[in-house]
Order: sequence, then structure tokens, then C-alpha cells
Amino acid sequence: MRESKILLFGFSRSAIEIGARLQAQGLAFTCIDSDASLLPKAKKLGFELLITDYSDDDTLLSLGIGEDVRFVFTLFDEDVQNVFLTLSIRALDSKVQIVSTTHTKDAIHKLEIAGASTILDPYQICGKRIYKLITQPEIMQVIDATIFGEEDINMEQITITAHSALNGLLLNECYPTEKYNMLLIGLHDKELKKEFIFITEGHNHKLDHGDILVVIGKSAEIERFKMDFSL
Amino acid sequence: MGYFTSFFVRLAYFIEASSRYHRVKEFCRTLLEYQHSRLKFYFDIFMVVLVVISVLFLLYEVKHPDGHPYLDAFVQFSLIVFIIEYLLRFWIYSDSHKLFLERYDYAINNNLPFSLGHTLWAILKKKVEYIISPLAIIDLLAILPSYRPLRFLRIFLLFRIFKLFRYARSMKTFTAIITEKKFELFTLAIFASFVIFTGSSAIYIFETHQNPKINTLFDAVYWAIVTMGTVGYGDIVPVTTEGMVVAMILIILGVATLAFLTSIIVSSFQNKLIELKESRLFSEVDKLENYIVICGYGRVGEVVAKMLHEDGYKLVIIDNDDEKIKLAQQRGLIGIVADASKSRILGELGVGKRASQIICATNSDELNVFITLTARSLSKQIIIIARVIKNTHKRKYFLAGANYAFSADETIGLMGAQYITQPISYTALDEMLTENTGVIFDMLPIHEHAYFVGQPLEALELKEKRLMLFGILRKEATPSFQFNPSPNFILQMHDILIIMGRKHHINVLRKQNDKGVMR
Repeated sequence: MRESKILLFGFSRSAIEIGARLQAQGLAFTCIDSDASLLPKAKKLGFELLITDYSDDDTLLSLGIGEDVRFVFTLFDEDVQNVFLTLSIRALDSKVQIVSTTHTKDAIHKLEIAGASTILDPYQICGKRIYKLITQPEIMQVIDATIFGEEDINMEQITITAHSALNGLLLNECYPTEKYNMLLIGLHDKELKKEFIFITEGHNHKLDHGDILVVIGKSAEIERFKMDFSL
Repeated sequence: MGYFTSFFVRLAYFIEASSRYHRVKEFCRTLLEYQHSRLKFYFDIFMVVLVVISVLFLLYEVKHPDGHPYLDAFVQFSLIVFIIEYLLRFWIYSDSHKLFLERYDYAINNNLPFSLGHTLWAILKKKVEYIISPLAIIDLLAILPSYRPLRFLRIFLLFRIFKLFRYARSMKTFTAIITEKKFELFTLAIFASFVIFTGSSAIYIFETHQNPKINTLFDAVYWAIVTMGTVGYGDIVPVTTEGMVVAMILIILGVATLAFLTSIIVSSFQNKLIELKESRLFSEVDKLENYIVICGYGRVGEVVAKMLHEDGYKLVIIDNDDEKIKLAQQRGLIGIVADASKSRILGELGVGKRASQIICATNSDELNVFITLTARSLSKQIIIIARVIKNTHKRKYFLAGANYAFSADETIGLMGAQYITQPISYTALDEMLTENTGVIFDMLPIHEHAYFVGQPLEALELKEKRLMLFGILRKEATPSFQFNPSPNFILQMHDILIIMGRKHHINVLRKQNDKGVMR
């Protein structure tokens, strides 16, 4: 159990979805819930489900919080549990990445205070999507088909390594879409505080190693790009 | 078949076949009967004005028995209108020829003897049904006294005021209340008449000889009612002790009866008021065109409604929780408390007619699928967007006829997994989807007269404009979406560019596109 670096608290529908994706990517994870009746369901899906009392700090510590757990998801259907768990985990470990889901608007702020690294709001996401479908159905179809979907167009992040040819270049000089069938969406400059800068903001960055590019394109094209620039 | 029978059969078939007959009758129905028709609305206003003026004239005549030439002409005119209206209503109340043909066909098909007498009797019965309906009687009484020999019925001209019942919907509600509470009111009326009867006989027995004011039984009844109604004019007062006791009892019972009556009417009025409000909402919906129906005002519905409302879309929200609907109404939205699973409700809301889209955003898959199915059965064109709760049910939504169906959990799954492996690309995705940073996805349709028709992509100078082309949508081509096309891609009419960038940068491009054909 100790070597598992990803913990999913709350065996909800979201947990099943996330679990399925992680499974597909070959990542090991552990689900945790207090309801033993969920065991057969987890077994059927091939998930590892631990039945334990997560409200106890000792239990959390024994699960590896503060040691080797890097990612924690709080996915309960009840906001009260999510907020409490986020707070307990944050108190034990200030570095762990906590991803929380929420079900009410008020809880977003509470989760932020409690120390969640990022908050997924299914209702906001769903609402936004319906809104997009009505106002700009074409765009949503395209996004659905490409980024979320069936077509082989993915979004990927590429970290610039020290020995890459890109290291030290200006962004304008390496605009990769001209030779590769992919789009550079933006980048994360580790010297800047802001997490993500869209390419359309027009800043001409100098790329350093450790900077991260986010691209969209066919996986094969992205692979080719990576190979060419020894990333 | 007798001569008369064959004549009637031919006449009925002739009417049935005449399109003009149907048109005219339909027009009259729109004018007089159909609740939501514009025509009826104007007609009603016209009639109300006519009624009010003719009653005012009646009052004028009290002091000026000679009349006034202009007003006389007006009275004649209004009388003619009333008569025509009465006859038209009489005509459209039932379709006699249909009734006739129904019976005739039934007899022929089942080899039964056809009785002309019975059939005509049935038709007549139907028409008599109209004549004796309360509103028709009022109409008739409003007309008859104008006939000279029936001048003594003048007071019935006041019945014209009652005609207003026909034209004002709120008046109808009042009648509806009285009919609804028939039983309670009837019981109360019996009780009241019993009390009045006892009281008046008592006072009559006790005081006829002692009290000079009470000479007849009518005096006694008048006194009893005045006392019981807590009016007590004081023109007749009991003079004996027995009479006073009767008066006291009558007063107490009278107050009780009135209280009863008030509570019956008020309580039923309150119930009716909700219905009245609802019907007002429905008529508000009737006026809308091209609106979006949102089923379920939970968190998803709320988020969607808020954003669409800000963009000026017309929305109609239904939810069976009146707390939520109250909230929606406070935010200036049209909200109706209703069970969306009832197809009648969706039909009344114009799904299948004027609604262009329907969003199923309740928190139950069963309900969402059911609404999807209902909406699809009502209309082939309507765009149905459904929120899937449990991802395994997604297929069912498409089977039920949804255009789009998706679950939030699926997106969460994708984003959650991405967060672990690629946190930066997760941030990018999050910002692209939420558009919090001001960078948005937008589309730019290349219309027929657009500046960019026939131009290669290079000419758009997207990079200089700080825009990024995600791809191009060309409906006829397969695949319709071309991701990241090359710079020498030639734009055609009806292409749609999917662009990413800041709003004002996109607007610069849009303006250039709209400038018109290149020289």
C-alpha cells in the first residue's frame, strides 16, 4: 500500500471515471472509502479499494500522507467530507497536491481555505459546456472531438530539457507549428509566477530548460517534435 | 331513405366539404373562443368598451328619458353587435353537421336504421345546452329588453355589465371559485336560510301586534336579513324582550355565517391565485419565439441560465421545487413550477413549436431520459442537450434522441487524470474551458460577401493579430474539421474558422472579414 502515490478518497462516480483514466495510463492508485458495501463494485472494476476511517489522522498518516503520497483526490458526494478531509490532509502535509470536487458554490471558497490545490466543479463544467453548446455549438463539437475525444488529437505538455536545441531560443524563433502539424497553445515559464501563458498573449519568451510547452496535435507529430529537439 | 333524410345528408356532406365554411367558423372561434389568440384579445377589449358605454348611456337615460340622437344610434349599433355575437356563439357552440354525419355513418356502417328525428333532436339538444348556459342567458338578457314590447325588462339591461364576465379572465376566475366551492356554499346557504326562516318567523310571531313596523312576513324576513348581515339599519327594531333575544341570537349566528363565507372564498381564492399566476406565466411563454427550455434549476441549470440570460437568450425554466423557481423568478427569469416529466407541460410550453432548444439538467437520469424522449416525440427539429449523471447511461440518451449528452464526471475524470500526469496542460485546459483569463475560443464564419473568401490563410496574418487558428470547419468536406491547416489553405464561403485569442483581437479580425469583397 505504501508505494501508492495517488489516493482517491470517496468511491463516487467521479472516482470511477478518474480511476479508469489512471488505469488506462498505467498509473497505480488506491481508492479509499468507509462504506464496505462498495467493495464488490470496486472488485468488478479492478480497482484497489481500502475500507477505512479516513477521518482519523493516524489512518491518514499510515496511508502515507506526509511521506510518499503526492496526489490526493477528495471525491465525496458530500462537501462536508471533502472540506474536512482536505483540511486534515493539508494539516499533515503542506506539499501534497490535493484535488477536490465540490457540489455547492459555497464550498469552493471553503475548499480553497482548507488548502485544496485545485478544485473541480462538475456543475460549473457541465453548465459551461451546455452554455457553449448553445452559443457556439461548432466550437464545442470541435473541442469534444479533439481534446476530449475519439480523434487522435491530444493535448500534451513538453518540458524543455537542458540539452535540447530549444534551450535558450526565443519563442518566435521556434514556433513549431510551421514544420509540425501541431499547435503551440502556450507555455509555463518557471521564472514567472503565473502558471500558464497563452501563446496569443504575444510575449516573446526566451525558453530555458525547465520551461514547459503545451501543444495540441496528433500524438505521432508530437513524438516527432520531441525526437527532433531531443526533449 | 326519405326525401328529408337524403336532403339533410347531402347538406351535411356539402358543409363538411366546404373549405370556406370551415375557414369562417375557424375564424369566429379564434375571435370568440381561443384563449390565447390576439384577435380575441382585441375583440374582448372592444366589447368591454361597448358594454361600459352602453351601460353609461342607460344611466344617462334615467334623467333624460327623451334620449339623445347620437346615443340612440350608438345603442342601436351596440345592440346589433350583441345580437351578432350571440348568434355567432350559438353557431360555433357545436358542429351540427358533424354530429349528423357521425350518427349517419354509424348507422350506415353498422347496418342500423337511421332515425332522422332522433338525430335532429340530438342536434337541437346540443344547441339548447348553449342557450341555457349561464353566460348565454346573460347575453340574451342583455339584448331582449331593447325590444320595445319587452321594455318592462329594462332593468335587465344592467345584465350587460355581467357580460363583462365573458371578456375578463380574472372575472372568470371568480365564477370558477364559486362553482368550485359549490358544495360548501350550498351547505352554508341552507344553514343561512334556516336561520333566516326561523328568525323571521319568530319575530313575526312575537311582534306583529306589538310592533307597528312589522306587518307582513316580508317585513320580518327583511328585518332578519338586515340583522343577520350585521347591517342593522335600525328602521325596524324589536320592541319586546322576546324580539330582542331573537335579534341577539341572529346577530351571533350572522357573524358566524359571514366569517364562514369569507373563509371559504378567501381560501379558494388563494388556491386559484397560484393557478392564475401560472396561467399568466404560460401566456408570457406563448409570446416568446425561439427560446430555450431548461428543465431543472439545480446547480447546472443555474449556471447555464445565468450565462445564457446575460447573453440575452430567452429562457423558460421548469422545476418542481417552488423554492428554486422563486429563486429563478427573483433573477428575472421565467420560471414555472411543474413536473417536467409530464408531456402535457412540455407541450404547453411550446416544445415542438416555438422552443428551439431544450436542456435536460435535472439530477436524475430517469427524468432526463424521459424528458429527452418526450421532447423528441413532440418535435423532430428541437435541439436536445442532456446532462448525463451516470456515464453508463450515456448511450440511452442518444437512443432517446438527444443531440448532445455528456456527463460532468467524465470531464472530471479526464481533467483529474491529466492533473496528475500533465499539470501544466491541465491548467491550460482548465483555462480554455472556463475562459477565466480572457482568452476564448470563438468562431468566425466566412459568409458570402466576406473579405477573406478565396484568400489563403497567410493573408489573415493571424499571428500578427495575436490569434491562433485551431482549425477550420467545412461542412461539406469529410472530415468536416481540419485541424491546423497549412498557411496556403484557401478559404471558401461557408467555412468556419475556430480561433483562440482575446476577444478584442478576434473582433479586429471579424471587422476585417465583414469589410466586404476585396477589390
